[in-house]
Amino acid sequence: MSEKAGAVVIGGGVNGLGTAYHLAKKGYTDVVVLEKSYVCSGASGRNGGGIRQQWSSRENIKLAMESTKMFEGLSEELGEDMEFIQGGYLVLAFDEDEVERFEKNVALQRKMGLNTEFVSPEEAKEIVPQLNISKVKAATFNESDGTIYPFLVVHGYARAVREMGVEIREHTEVTDIEVHGDEITAVKTDKGIIETDTVVNAAGGWSNQIARMAGVELPNKPYRHEIMVTEPFAHFLDPMVISFHHGIYFSQSKHGNIVGGIGNPDEKEGINQRSSMWFLRTMAKTLVDFIPQFRSVNMLRQWAGLYDTTPDAQPIIGPVPELERFYQLNGFSGHGFMVSPVVNKVTAELILGEEPSMDIDRLSVTRFEGMDLEQEYSVVG
Amino acid sequence: MEDKRIREHPVLEFERGHEIHFDFEGEEVKAYKGETIAAALYANGLVKFTESKHHHRPRGFFCAIGKCSSCIMTVNGIPHVRTCVTPVEEGMKVKRHGALPEFPKEVPPSSPEAKESKVDIAVVGGGPAGLSAAIIAAQHGADVHLFDEGDHQGGQLVKQTHQFFGSHLEEAGTRGIDLAEDLLREAKKAGVNLHPGTTVLGYYPEKTLAVESKNGLEIYHTKGIVYATGAVENYLAFENNDLPGIYGAGGVQTLMNEYGIIPGEKVLMIGSGNVGLIVGYQLLQAGVDVVEVIEAMPNFGGYQVHASKLRRAGVPISTAHTIKKALGTDRVEGAVVHVLDEDWQPVPGTERELECDVICIAVGLHPDNQFVRQAGAEMKYVRELGGFVPIRTEDMETTVEGVFVAGDSAGIEEATVAALEGKLVGCALVERLFGTSDEISDMKEDIKAGIEQMRKGPYGEYPRRGVKLCTLDEEVC
Repeated sequence: MSEKAGAVVIGGGVNGLGTAYHLAKKGYTDVVVLEKSYVCSGASGRNGGGIRQQWSSRENIKLAMESTKMFEGLSEELGEDMEFIQGGYLVLAFDEDEVERFEKNVALQRKMGLNTEFVSPEEAKEIVPQLNISKVKAATFNESDGTIYPFLVVHGYARAVREMGVEIREHTEVTDIEVHGDEITAVKTDKGIIETDTVVNAAGGWSNQIARMAGVELPNKPYRHEIMVTEPFAHFLDPMVISFHHGIYFSQSKHGNIVGGIGNPDEKEGINQRSSMWFLRTMAKTLVDFIPQFRSVNMLRQWAGLYDTTPDAQPIIGPVPELERFYQLNGFSGHGFMVSPVVNKVTAELILGEEPSMDIDRLSVTRFEGMDLEQEYSVVG
Repeated sequence: MEDKRIREHPVLEFERGHEIHFDFEGEEVKAYKGETIAAALYANGLVKFTESKHHHRPRGFFCAIGKCSSCIMTVNGIPHVRTCVTPVEEGMKVKRHGALPEFPKEVPPSSPEAKESKVDIAVVGGGPAGLSAAIIAAQHGADVHLFDEGDHQGGQLVKQTHQFFGSHLEEAGTRGIDLAEDLLREAKKAGVNLHPGTTVLGYYPEKTLAVESKNGLEIYHTKGIVYATGAVENYLAFENNDLPGIYGAGGVQTLMNEYGIIPGEKVLMIGSGNVGLIVGYQLLQAGVDVVEVIEAMPNFGGYQVHASKLRRAGVPISTAHTIKKALGTDRVEGAVVHVLDEDWQPVPGTERELECDVICIAVGLHPDNQFVRQAGAEMKYVRELGGFVPIRTEDMETTVEGVFVAGDSAGIEEATVAALEGKLVGCALVERLFGTSDEISDMKEDIKAGIEQMRKGPYGEYPRRGVKLCTLDEEVC
């Protein structure tokens, strides 16, 4: 059985559904979203919900600032509380190199209109009184950063696009993408063929596999990242606390649980979403180093998701040179949720041939061909 | 304070430990060594244990075996302690924390580095299935470690004061508590390393368990794991079903038969399967009034002999009845029940109010196998076995190599089958570790014949059908 669609979006996560949402909002609903598992089953439903604007690269700061504004209005737009808590991000520096880098970051961020403050360890302790600052050299704090509840956002988009007439097909796996010359002609799935000339690759950790089906090579590599949740407590922690040095981040959810993760520098490339003993032990120890009272706290669950990582830790957005209607929306390197609103909007504009509301040419996959890359350093985990 | 402890009982003798005292929210409370914090508080008349998070409704304890989290309190400054599995100690400071505890202020001493060991077999759960598996494996020379959250092992057998049925097994006619003691004695004799009061945290590849003991984190690298984690009680949806005083039948049995504490004065029993009928009779033995047993089906579900005992004592068993709501604000003060028609719809004009302070829910169990699932085992929904169960081989190995399952966590049946499945897994592990022998093969054949025998009766038809649906080499492959 063969059918037709104006556009096929591969991936039922925040970026796939967010793009479908922006398309539908513009009245373009001839869209099918394909998800090989269930909506929000990938990294979109496995991350810590952090929304941070404190980045080192101009591109990411711009994307995050614009996205934060869009998140601020999202509850009203989708008609449901997204639990966006702007308790700030407290970024801790543990050595002189970090202090130096943070000074530069803050200068750049302030120049771009972001109100980040460079704070002393003592001031950091005022923000989080339980914090052990014995090894903290300095910190940066931005009060409009925060956390959002990822499931509410993704399911909010899913509900909205369905209401507008977009079809979401769960448990439907893409098996091939048919290409004739420089045009896509169809997407093959385990449930049938959909004829289309426009495809959005928002498959997260699987995006390089999807690209390869159309004969396109992406530099993205999937890496496991692990995360956990503790028992709930009465509210005590306002900001998300992070350290690039330790690769750790943690915050308190609206429901009182501490949600946080830590990256394993020895993690091997590959699709692996199992939990490790390394994480259990390292996360517990590091949390106790940061806030010693964590010794009396139990972890409730641990789980894992995939970072879809690029060489410069920046996303790949927009069409590829070989196929001009094969849009990439991947390679987010662990921060795909927080920049999703604006890149989804721009992707929808590109698909509809409109003038993009933000210039994102620098994020094209072509940047990897010999160009100087602007490395993003402020990656946690 | 009142004292709900049973002093005289026709069947049971409660050997209480010495008297101790602890602090509950500034008040001195009397307890006996061997009681859990929750049991001691309940014996002293405490009904409200926690509060719901959003609406601040009062919550009592429900399961009494560490599975439902309705009893968590702050103990000696540590939040989120499950008081129903934590033994009470002299001088403890216990307080409730309402909907959510404060983040701790004190910093407790650091725990030692995690202890890592290499062992042959880890068994999770010290009920009839787990103990039986451990015994066979240890008797044949395996280094076996058995973990259980409770301080007493023996699983749910320890609260079963009735005699078992069964036509051909040596266990028939034995009370559950005696069976538990026999199994424990045998396990110790066989050299099983028992780890009471430990919580298994999770499975890690390959065949590694993280365990929390009183000394901190312990890590066991194994050659085989047996999950025998039993079951969780089913709940019923009705108005006010979260009021303190509404307890699972297992919770009531734990209080009454393990700790010698009565759950209340007047009990409405919901469900007339064997559990409902037996617990109803045990309540009478403990001097508690059972006002009525209600059953939604047109016939009572358990054995005639259990029903007759209750009826002889004057307890009405009302079939085609269900509960509409519980009455009371801070605790149960009564219930509204009504008749159901053939289409399970309420019959108008049949509502009546009953006075009771406990509503005991005995509407079946579902397998507790989140561990097996976490280990990555393929699961299947099998209604006949009470819910999701792992797909397994005839030897009870799951789809994860070296990970076995036995007893109720593999599917709801009863204790004799659980013990036999445990033995079967024990044999399979011995074969895995040391190779097969005539003795082991013969033993396996006997055990399989025994299980088949147990499933031959009229009550065996249901699980027999269920097991077929999830056993490889039979229908699934």
